[in-house]
Amino acid sequence: MEHPSKSSTLQLGIFVLGALAVLTAVEFTIALTVNIWQVLAVIPMIKAGLVFYYYMHIYRLFQADTEVDRESFAYKLATNRMGLWLFLISDSFIFGGLMISRINLLGLTRPDLIQVLGLVVTSVLLISSFFANRAEVSMEYGDHKQFILSTTLTMSLGILFLVGVLGVEWRLAPFGPETNLAGAVFYVMTGFHAFHVLTGVIFLAIVLRNGLRGLYTAEKHWAVEASVVYWHFVDVVWFFFYPALYLIGTLAK
Amino acid sequence: MKRYVIIFILVIASTFLIHAWLMSIGLFPIEASAQSVAVDQLFHVHLWLISFLFSLIMVTLVYSLIFFHRRKGETGDGAYLTGNSTLEITWTAIPLMAVLVLAYAGARTLGAIQVIDPTAVQVKVTAGQWYWQYAYPDYGVTSTDLYLPVNLQIDLQMTSVDVIHSFWVPEFRVKQDIVPGRTVELRVTPSLIGEYKVRCSELCGLRHAYMEGLVEVVSQANFEKWIAQQQSAAPPSPELRGQQLASSYGCVNCHSTDGSAKTGPTWLRLYNSSVKLSDGTTVTADDNYLKTSIINPNSQVVSGFSSNVMPDFSTVLDQTMVESLVAYIKTLK
Amino acid sequence: MRKLYSIGLIRGLLWQILGTAIGIGILTGIRILLHLPAWKAESAFVLGALLGALFFVYGIGAVDDWIKVAGGKEVHEPDESSWGSMRYFGVSLDHKVVGIQYLVLSLVLMVVGGSFAMTFRTELANTGMQFLTLMEYNTLMSLHGMVMIIGILVGVGAFMNYLIPMMIGARDMAFPRLNAFSFWLAVPASIILLSSMALGGFDTGWTGYPPLSARAPIGIQMFFLGVSLAGMGTILSSLNIITTALRMRARGMTGFRLPIFVWGALATSLISLTATQLIGLSFQMVMFQRLFGMGFFDPAKGGNPILFQHLFWFYSHPAVYVFVLPGLGIISELLPVFARKPLYGYKWVALSSFGIALIGFLVWGHHMFASGMAQYLRVPFMYSTLLVAVPTGVKFFSWLGTLWRGKIVFPVPMLFVLAGIIVFLLGGLTGPPNATVATDLHLTDTYFIVGHFHDTMFGGYVFPFFAAIYYWFPKMTGRRMNETLGKIHFWLMAPAFIVLSSMMMRTGLLGMRRRIADYDPTLNITNDHRVMTVAGFLVALGILVFIINAFWSRRNGEIATGNIWNSRSPEWQVPSPMPVHNYDKPFEVVGEPYDYGLPGSVYVKFMEEE
Repeated sequence: MEHPSKSSTLQLGIFVLGALAVLTAVEFTIALTVNIWQVLAVIPMIKAGLVFYYYMHIYRLFQADTEVDRESFAYKLATNRMGLWLFLISDSFIFGGLMISRINLLGLTRPDLIQVLGLVVTSVLLISSFFANRAEVSMEYGDHKQFILSTTLTMSLGILFLVGVLGVEWRLAPFGPETNLAGAVFYVMTGFHAFHVLTGVIFLAIVLRNGLRGLYTAEKHWAVEASVVYWHFVDVVWFFFYPALYLIGTLAK
Repeated sequence: MKRYVIIFILVIASTFLIHAWLMSIGLFPIEASAQSVAVDQLFHVHLWLISFLFSLIMVTLVYSLIFFHRRKGETGDGAYLTGNSTLEITWTAIPLMAVLVLAYAGARTLGAIQVIDPTAVQVKVTAGQWYWQYAYPDYGVTSTDLYLPVNLQIDLQMTSVDVIHSFWVPEFRVKQDIVPGRTVELRVTPSLIGEYKVRCSELCGLRHAYMEGLVEVVSQANFEKWIAQQQSAAPPSPELRGQQLASSYGCVNCHSTDGSAKTGPTWLRLYNSSVKLSDGTTVTADDNYLKTSIINPNSQVVSGFSSNVMPDFSTVLDQTMVESLVAYIKTLK
Repeated sequence: MRKLYSIGLIRGLLWQILGTAIGIGILTGIRILLHLPAWKAESAFVLGALLGALFFVYGIGAVDDWIKVAGGKEVHEPDESSWGSMRYFGVSLDHKVVGIQYLVLSLVLMVVGGSFAMTFRTELANTGMQFLTLMEYNTLMSLHGMVMIIGILVGVGAFMNYLIPMMIGARDMAFPRLNAFSFWLAVPASIILLSSMALGGFDTGWTGYPPLSARAPIGIQMFFLGVSLAGMGTILSSLNIITTALRMRARGMTGFRLPIFVWGALATSLISLTATQLIGLSFQMVMFQRLFGMGFFDPAKGGNPILFQHLFWFYSHPAVYVFVLPGLGIISELLPVFARKPLYGYKWVALSSFGIALIGFLVWGHHMFASGMAQYLRVPFMYSTLLVAVPTGVKFFSWLGTLWRGKIVFPVPMLFVLAGIIVFLLGGLTGPPNATVATDLHLTDTYFIVGHFHDTMFGGYVFPFFAAIYYWFPKMTGRRMNETLGKIHFWLMAPAFIVLSSMMMRTGLLGMRRRIADYDPTLNITNDHRVMTVAGFLVALGILVFIINAFWSRRNGEIATGNIWNSRSPEWQVPSPMPVHNYDKPFEVVGEPYDYGLPGSVYVKFMEEE
């Protein structure tokens, strides 16, 4: 199999970002115009599919295991990948449960939130995912400087996302968690998601620190892969939460 | 071959024996509703199924344990039988079909017990911790006991003022949880005159065990008589009415009348007393204060007590009832 | 002093006390600054309990290696062979040690939960309240349920962690540190659960339905938190089981050459990996309703109490398959050994575990037939519920096929296997009346249901659990448990239990509701209750005999270092107790696992040193 070049892989990352950005623009436009919930429910699935394949390389899970030596790094790497994905599958059930709750309690209504802010924080998280991908690709090709830079950018954008949601949107929302159902649903969903963003930032910080000390190589950098794949997962969750909270339906009450 | 014949005979015999035994030990309360007939019919189908399947498995099991027991001194292993695809498919397909038939029968029975009679007698049921209250909107009558005319469908419209309760009269066979914030419906047609009990069937707090009430099924003539009696009963004085309401709506479970400490403030000498609220202010417990305490308690919580504990009576007690309660509280000096 | 502090469990508990105090202190301080009532505040206890649990796992050392890795340092597997019996009280990376730790914890929880039952069963022997207050009764009854459930989850963890690496020829689990962490999380979780008794108890039953749970005493928060933490441990453990079974198998061990128990364990872990998150979520949502006023299930705020039930039962129904699939796997595993015949229809049995697990995700509404949920949902859930009987039937028929024309022997493990089959049959046969909606409207929330699930739990878990302990005890210790005491345990427990559960069902049909501290004397079931109380004590006595046997046999049991059951399974091909890394020489699978009766057939062949 032809091993793709570093520049072509990075380019692919840019194309994926472009596609995600276009899809986000489309869903924002649809929400403000025709607001067909079926379309707004399908677009996140397309975005998720793109990220699962191109950024999280889910296909690696199914690659034939030629390595028979159980003690080899390659075998352990594949085992670790399985463990990580099982963890993500489990975690997605919490977010699934929250979505079910939102649908049951709010139906086709949505909380009164600031649309521009929602679009901004979504874009911030999207771009952070782009840099996370760059960080991982750089490490795969042994480009430590790019890895450091990209990881730092990912973290910074992640922190910016938290500031935008917890610092700004939570302050400016015209309701508290106890005011009404829309408030309760909004805070619990963004709260759970923000907790995962925070742990993701911490994970990246650890990886950044160890990366600065030269602990990772192009051949051995599982922690980098794991922290980045987790980061993408957190972004995928937001792909669904963003329309669920900001876009789908009419204003509640 | 002989083995299979023996087992077949034993299974059939055992099925009948077990079924007869189950029918003889008194497993069901009497059938006192039209619905109970359909439900018990389905129960009997289940009892046959249980008797048969139990026999099938146990007879084969016991037979094996007896006849395929390793004898003393015997060495060697059992017969090398790994499986049989035909058998596997058979004992997957037959249960599958049986399950579908049973489910269909179940659906039919459910339909039968849910038939709606548009002329049904409507009864509004209010459940709260730990009491039952009934109102007959067609007649303008309220009661703490459930009086029902025999052989007429009753349309129970039920709501709860606090937590989830559940309406169940074992002799009627049907049950319905009562959820606060909405009205749920249960239709039952009592078919046997007698005295029964409604037993709350969803854990609703401390006194759940004692949340039982009288259900009196009477002839249609006697029902009319009872209605007439309730309608013409001299209305009690407001104070007496208030005392009745305080008992039947469970107020006294939380508010003592003798000064003792309970979940809510005592009513003894409450009227016109000075009350310290949780926000630090002090107010006088006048008529307005008492009225507000009943229909909007969370707006003025007494210091030392918790908010969000008192049930929501704003939709259940009307103006007159509230005034009666206030009148009663005033008598507690 | 230092010697005490070197014991992991002591260290963990001290740190838990510290963490609890810090949590209470922080939140009390914040509340004082915000001019809110600060003494015995509910939120302080919640934060205290949470920090207590986190400090426990830190203090015992369960996260030390991960902290090292995060700091960029190397970690090594310690040589535990010289640690002695103290390693059972701390962090061990040996799955056999962790398995036994899980086993001991499950027995402790079973005894605690069982003594709660003995207490309220005594109260129920007569009408009227004898010696318990209503809150005490409700708390004990609720805790009996949840403590037993956690005990079962932990016990299931014991089998799976102890057996799976051995059965598949692995040295240990895929993630040994995660294994130790998952176990040690269960200890503070159990302590928090039990601490509810000191914080006012709670009166909601183990199902914790709001609005009642939203207004219950503070003890309910300890209930919610304890279960959430235990649930996290279960999830991580399942992740480990699945990865181990898929990645660490010996050469030649293809899917249909796995020991059948591993199939059951995989199906189980699929459920507990995923569905458990939903009970955590539903409980946390009630916690948030209480702490932050979020009105998810509060009708006054437009909330939906039935939403809770959907979220809760979406886990709690599949959970019962988590409870029984391993035990049913034990039955399938042991019958061939004691009948000296292949497991009849092995492939069908293997797939039936997955069939049960998958269908099991689609039936949760049968707990809600009377709840007021959308009417149109009732019939579909009835169909799906009845459907579970089909793969379950496949197992029963296979067991009969395994025994048919065998050469059956009856050592104590076999007695418990047979009791498991018979009692699970009773539980399974009383399922359909609950599944058909019209009959369920009579049965739901009565003692009939209590009898049904005690039958299924005892048949699918408790009896196989004891069978497994009697069977693998030599593997753990090199000695057999005493056969006579084992038979006494069996004959005390099995008949009494069948009487107990049968009477539960009878009283339920006649009008005995669930979760009531006192019952109506006019129901004429007072004598039934007395019989049930006596039967319950006999079951407890049987378990006491078992515990005495276990302690005695550790030191004085008949030495049993070889393949005393003449099993084909790999772990019995090496001496007992199991060597420290299981297999000094790896093995290759060259035949079928259950080819008893096929002359010359071999399952595993050990490879010579290369």
